[in-house]
Amino acid sequence: MFVKKLMFAAVAFCFVFGGIAARAQDAGALLDLLVKKKLITDQEAEEVRGELVKESAETSAGKWKLSSPITELELYGDLRLRYQYNGGRTDNTPVQPPGAGVAGTHDWQERERERYRVRIGLRGTLADDWFFGIRLETNTNNRSTNVTFGGDSNNGPFSKNDDGINVGQAYLGYKGFPDFTFTGGRMPNPLINTAMVWDPDINPEGLAEQWKHTFNITFGGGGGAEAVQSYSKEGYSKEGKGVVTAQAAGEPFKLKIDVFANFAQFVYDDANPENPLGARSTTTGNGGKQLIPTTDAFLLAWQVGARFTFPKNIYFQIAPTLYNYTGNGDTFNIHYQGGDPFLTNAKSLAQNQTGINSLLVLDVPAEIGWKIGELPMRIFGDFAVNFNADDRANAAGHSGFGDQRYAFQIGAGIGQLKAKHDWQIEAAYQLSEQYALDPNLVDDDIFDGRLNMQGVIVRAGYALSDAVIFNLTYNYGWRYNKNLGTGGGPVAIAINPLQDYQFFVADLNIKF
Amino acid sequence: MKLTHLALLIGLAFGITEARGDRLVIKGSDTLGAKLVPQLAEQFKAQHPGTTFDIAAEGSTTGIAAIIDGTAEIGMSSRRAKTSEVGAAAAKGKHMKPTIVAFDGIAVIVNSANPIKGLTKKQVEQIFTGDVTDWSAVGGSGGKISIYTRNTSSGTYSDFKELAMKKRDYAGGSQKMAGNEQIAAEVGKNPNGVGYVGMAYTKAGGVKVMPIDSVTPSVKTVQGHSYSYWRPTFYYTNGEPSGLAKEFLDFTIGSGGQKIVAQVGFVPIK
Repeated sequence: MFVKKLMFAAVAFCFVFGGIAARAQDAGALLDLLVKKKLITDQEAEEVRGELVKESAETSAGKWKLSSPITELELYGDLRLRYQYNGGRTDNTPVQPPGAGVAGTHDWQERERERYRVRIGLRGTLADDWFFGIRLETNTNNRSTNVTFGGDSNNGPFSKNDDGINVGQAYLGYKGFPDFTFTGGRMPNPLINTAMVWDPDINPEGLAEQWKHTFNITFGGGGGAEAVQSYSKEGYSKEGKGVVTAQAAGEPFKLKIDVFANFAQFVYDDANPENPLGARSTTTGNGGKQLIPTTDAFLLAWQVGARFTFPKNIYFQIAPTLYNYTGNGDTFNIHYQGGDPFLTNAKSLAQNQTGINSLLVLDVPAEIGWKIGELPMRIFGDFAVNFNADDRANAAGHSGFGDQRYAFQIGAGIGQLKAKHDWQIEAAYQLSEQYALDPNLVDDDIFDGRLNMQGVIVRAGYALSDAVIFNLTYNYGWRYNKNLGTGGGPVAIAINPLQDYQFFVADLNIKF
Repeated sequence: MKLTHLALLIGLAFGITEARGDRLVIKGSDTLGAKLVPQLAEQFKAQHPGTTFDIAAEGSTTGIAAIIDGTAEIGMSSRRAKTSEVGAAAAKGKHMKPTIVAFDGIAVIVNSANPIKGLTKKQVEQIFTGDVTDWSAVGGSGGKISIYTRNTSSGTYSDFKELAMKKRDYAGGSQKMAGNEQIAAEVGKNPNGVGYVGMAYTKAGGVKVMPIDSVTPSVKTVQGHSYSYWRPTFYYTNGEPSGLAKEFLDFTIGSGGQKIVAQVGFVPIK
């Protein structure tokens, strides 16, 4: 009898004082065991269970009510304070009559801004292998989540005109088939690429299908090569589960190969209406009179790649991707021109900077990494070529410049930013020719999101705590081909061609 | 004059208290409230003349809600109160106290003409989630499976999801019935029907009980917890019961009440 009471008290004590919310859920199995061992009665177990549930319900976590189909839910986000400098210089720009806002020759435009951003999201898994995610963000711009302090022009100082919260991500998906993930909505970019091609702030809208399969191959150690296939179901945001391979005698050489394929159909531009009243609208933007398309423009992407993980923390990853467009939609139907150094700055800026005509881009991002001691190091790169650059140059009025079709980035990094006192340094060189890439997608933190630019990018970061990271980023770019403008944007600097460009940010970022 | 009024008021007050004390309001589980509790009430009334019962059996959720709202002295439930319900009670200063009054086994029933001899837990999950839709997939002779479940306010509905379906959703085409008797009746009429009922409802005509992993629900297998779909059933009260509610609860878990529990088809607590 004494033993029974002691056990009862011990169970109650452990669960009530040992982390109520989690323990209440775990108590059932132990209570059932105690009942089965006849150490306590069913009624006594029920009373303990009832008390635990009551205590759990009164905790902060217990007051959250989640619908029953949710099997896992994660609240996450970040808040960033930033100082940002952007500066750009004209070259031998033909000078208009002087006046405020008119570019002069070798004239600098500079901006200094103090900014913040907030991103807060919920993502979770549902019963029967469904998942979802929602993320709210500041700023309405597709390539920025920043809000500039003092940037409001109406309603007095400290007003809230530009402090709105917008839906950055809203997606759902299914991963019920081994190795496959299907996602629809406004989603985190499912493609592996670099900022040279795709600004990390851009969350595409549409559909994505992903497949990933892991092969574990063991060489040597007393036997021949042995392949073990993994069918682990990976979450949309989870690291892959470890896969157990057969152990051979001796020191086998183990190779893990993650083979993946990502396919995307993004709605780039929705034509509206598809069937207009009366005659279709026309444009003269491309020279002559043309009908404006009434069909949607889709960005299609096909990516197939692999990540090879060798012993001793060495890895290599490559992810070739082909990007293509089904049309121009009704927003991007004017052909890309990208500016002209033989026009005044105002006229050069007024040329089309956003057209998506004649883009069939092969992009090949790659990375190799290793560790020296506990210090990770990596070399990364990206190469892209637009197979339709001749047509794009012709449409821009620069028919002799179809060879401006390449873009590449090469860089190296050392360190990581995962825990308190971690540090990281990265440096890269990037060159993007005028007709190589979609100017609407490239990262505007690099050379103001412009093409026909080359330069260096340097980043350094330090983790003040597990959740607080301080980052410095600098890049300096200059125009590549002197006979062409610097197409794209402009995002921060109203100069085309942009002869020189400097960018510096100091970020204090809190992640939660 | 004033003293007379005061005496009258006091008298009325006592009179009202006395009248309310003879009436016990019980709400909740259909599993308990359709057969067991009415029979317990009849026996209790025989021993306590003048006592009246107001029993409403509309599902466990309604019984727990009635304790939270204070509209019943006893809430019958065939499932445990959820954390959210316990929290809602606490917010209103109520303490949901469970008392196990009987055990039950949720029996999986099929039409007596169905040749199938038994099911595994995996097969039960597959049937009720819609992973399999034809009897031939689980060893039957073929035919589209018709699933009958309780409605969503039923404790049995959620208990069965938890015990047998890994909390997965019921198959899209499953038909929701108001009570155990309706499920048994429908399965008894439909050669391709399958459903679940409390053990007290397995004697209905035209149905047979499926052994699960070769274990049939019985007093022995439920008390010993070897039958997979066993569960306790509860009276919920606001803290320790008192007055008539305590008397009825004591009667229910006492030898007289437990005898009725067994007669009705439930499993006594000891």
